[in-house]
Amino acid sequence: MAVGHGDSSSSDKKSTDALSDLQTFNAENLQSNMKVIYYSRTFLSIIGGVIAGILGFKGLIGFVFYFLVMAVTSAALTAKAKFSIHSYFDTWNRVLLDGFFGGLMSFVLFWTFAYDIVHIF
Amino acid sequence: MGLGFTVGVIGVLILGHAAYSTIQYRSLLKIMEEEFSGPPLDVVLELLVGLLCCMWAALTVPGKFLSVHPHSDENRVVSLPENVDFMIFNHRGRAFSSEIDLKLKH
Repeated sequence: MAVGHGDSSSSDKKSTDALSDLQTFNAENLQSNMKVIYYSRTFLSIIGGVIAGILGFKGLIGFVFYFLVMAVTSAALTAKAKFSIHSYFDTWNRVLLDGFFGGLMSFVLFWTFAYDIVHIF
Repeated sequence: MGLGFTVGVIGVLILGHAAYSTIQYRSLLKIMEEEFSGPPLDVVLELLVGLLCCMWAALTVPGKFLSVHPHSDENRVVSLPENVDFMIFNHRGRAFSSEIDLKLKH
């Protein structure tokens, strides 16, 4: 009897191993991680826009500044994930690219806003 | 969470103060009739400190990353059912269990 139970549990283990080989993810936790990334990126693009406006950047330099801020953010998020991206996300693009263009819109908005307040009025 | 939020508010206040200093610097330049080439060094340092505060807040406030692997230690269910005190395994049904196993095998 005990042997039979041991056999069944080991076969269960084998089937779960096969499932993890198929790259199953906890979708709920993945969604929550994506939300964390989205919040961080949006907040930092707003702050970056305000700083670019105060520094008085014009034209292309502002966009270069945005790329710099986003690169630093990606590095910081990677550090927050303890450099093991694949235990928190399915692909690298989640950390490196998601929310990039949405952040660019808020960056430009706050860049022009801060520039107008500090340098024009 | 509260600490990160406070640091973020402080960072935003530092940025506001830096913006105010820049406005004052620009009005000074207007009086001295000079051209604006960039904010003074202390404002740049202030902006850097504000950026660092806000970055720290942005990384801590939204929450922690959760593991997506279904078999990682964080995702294991470790709670037992609440009626575990009332479960009895030492009863006469034990005598039939081998036959049940035989039935299941066939």
